[in-house]
Amino acid sequence: MGSLTLGYDTDELLNLGLRELLGARKNDAFSSSRFQQYRLTLKILLESPSSAVGLAIVILYSAIAVIDFIYPSLIGVQNAYSMVPDFSNPVPTTPTWPTHPFGTTFPGIDLYQAIMAAIRVDLWYSLLIVLTGAALGTLVGVLAGYAGGSLDEVLMRITDIFLSIPYLPFAIAVGFVLGRGIEDISLALAVVWWRQYARYARGQALAVRENAFIEAARASGVGSLRIMLRHVVPNVLTPVFVQISLDLGTIVQVFASLTFIGFASANPLLPELGTLISDGFQYAVVAPWVVFFPGMAILIFAIAMNLVGDGLRDALDPRSRT
Amino acid sequence: MVGLKLRYFVLRRLLLLIPTLIGLTLIVFVLTKVGGDQRLIGEYINLHSTIPAVVQAQEVAQRFHLNDPLIVQYFYWLVSLVHGDWGYTRTLVYDGSVLDAISLFFPNTLVLATLSSLLTALIGIPLGVWSAVRKDSVLDQATRVISFAGYAIPTFWLGLVLIIAFGSANVCRCLDIFPISGTVDVSLIGGVNWFIGGISYPSHILMIDSLIHGRIDIFSDSVMHLILPVITLTYGIMASVLRIMRSSMQDTLNQDYIRTARAKGLSENVVINVHARRNALIPVFTLLGYTIASLLGGAVITETVFNYPGIGYWTTQAILNGDQGGIMGATIIFGLAFIFANLIVDIAYGFLDPRIRY
Repeated sequence: MGSLTLGYDTDELLNLGLRELLGARKNDAFSSSRFQQYRLTLKILLESPSSAVGLAIVILYSAIAVIDFIYPSLIGVQNAYSMVPDFSNPVPTTPTWPTHPFGTTFPGIDLYQAIMAAIRVDLWYSLLIVLTGAALGTLVGVLAGYAGGSLDEVLMRITDIFLSIPYLPFAIAVGFVLGRGIEDISLALAVVWWRQYARYARGQALAVRENAFIEAARASGVGSLRIMLRHVVPNVLTPVFVQISLDLGTIVQVFASLTFIGFASANPLLPELGTLISDGFQYAVVAPWVVFFPGMAILIFAIAMNLVGDGLRDALDPRSRT
Repeated sequence: MVGLKLRYFVLRRLLLLIPTLIGLTLIVFVLTKVGGDQRLIGEYINLHSTIPAVVQAQEVAQRFHLNDPLIVQYFYWLVSLVHGDWGYTRTLVYDGSVLDAISLFFPNTLVLATLSSLLTALIGIPLGVWSAVRKDSVLDQATRVISFAGYAIPTFWLGLVLIIAFGSANVCRCLDIFPISGTVDVSLIGGVNWFIGGISYPSHILMIDSLIHGRIDIFSDSVMHLILPVITLTYGIMASVLRIMRSSMQDTLNQDYIRTARAKGLSENVVINVHARRNALIPVFTLLGYTIASLLGGAVITETVFNYPGIGYWTTQAILNGDQGGIMGATIIFGLAFIFANLIVDIAYGFLDPRIRY
């Protein structure tokens, strides 16, 4: 999966100015050329057909989420915030065009509308989880890596302790004590998701710390906090962004798995993909579509996110190509 | 000298257990506190007892020193943990002490996890090696698709799709071969006195107990019941093993000593099987810890989907029943399983790779 074919070679990339992007940024690189660099990354990303397809799907999902938010009836969703049950006809019915293109699920909920509305919820919470985890982990990692010494030791031992519990049971325990709601499980996942980022960011910070421009900043009397935020963090962010995009594909599955096994059951009408599958679970054998369509919604997004993540990694760091 | 170094390595690794175990119990303790003292007290109150609930609650509070500083509370909580008092669980599947519940459910999870990791090793390692050796062949492409899908298909959904495929009589009768739920067919266990409430006695592993009691029919049925859960769980961990094995084998094949081996005229078979594969396995080994974590996490989901009575299934029941004792017990046992599996992996690694002993 790492070995997607790209239509250029490493030297060409470096000539394009990627050396700037990969190496330590100089102060002036922040102002003028950052936009150009992003455009370049995007260009490289789009050159690979698989990343381009992935990006298109991700944009489509994001568009659905935004439409849910501002004008849901545009995509035929009556209510983007609650599923509409029909208790007079609760048993799942087969997909019929155009009234129920994906069929209905228990209790009489139109699957197409439910999935479209659920995309907003799942995307929003997944994004929130990954970004919170990444921010927290990056902060801890940069602090540990840049400060070094005993602070590094303490922070990394804490990270190790957090790493000593498999994340899923850990998230279940945290989510449980917080209250079993959808916000609780999201917070729980963010609490267990910062660990890898801390290790990752620390490694990067250790490398960045040795650069001459850091030494120059220190020599000219810039404070530690400012060095960390202005010079170390930006240089650590590139690999963190790649990891975020890869993690989004994973977290959307983990989130749905946890709602499937019973989190978020406090609000059974909240449109959410895991809850949808769990609602239809008992009918899975006689009405396969109740499980198939919500699962495909997760699957397609996860594939797309992985394609984008891989493409980004290849575009930003040619060395990691396998 | 080498023996001494190895002994130091093992000793050092064992000493590292202490902070890790303290960390694990501290986290669970903090979570218990976040959950609230009332929940902890509630676990211990016996409503059928003649002693009033208020008096019982006072006794529990006194026993766990709930009115003392947190560090004191942690100490007494840890003492009761070490003494085998892990609290009480009240779910539909089990009502009793947490440690008893774990001793009943853990063997089933162990069976599932062991079979899945064996299957992963048996398929993942050779497939990874082949796809690296025959790079860009059809097999390699297929392998890449498998490992890619592994990152994108949710485990619980795959389990459900298997249930639909193998459990639906209305689609195609021919696929109706594998049972989709539980550990054994209900019709076989009528009148069996060593199988109570989904758990078999004395070993709690149905495959072993059925043989002890001489029931070959139950044995074969329990094997059939394991097939779909094992496939689901294996699939969940296969992707990372395949991916690491493939890239590690590719790296190894580019090493100088492989070129030397080829240059001196060794057959390709010897080069791959003797020189390259062994060294390529080392990175796979380092990532075993990660694989074990996803195995244990995957077990929660897989067991729930297939109604398979293991720790994961019990955890899900505890979530639905608001049973804090069960959740904390499961977290500790998952943590312990993970920590000790990693310990074994690390020590084995020390034996395998001399460079690691520092």
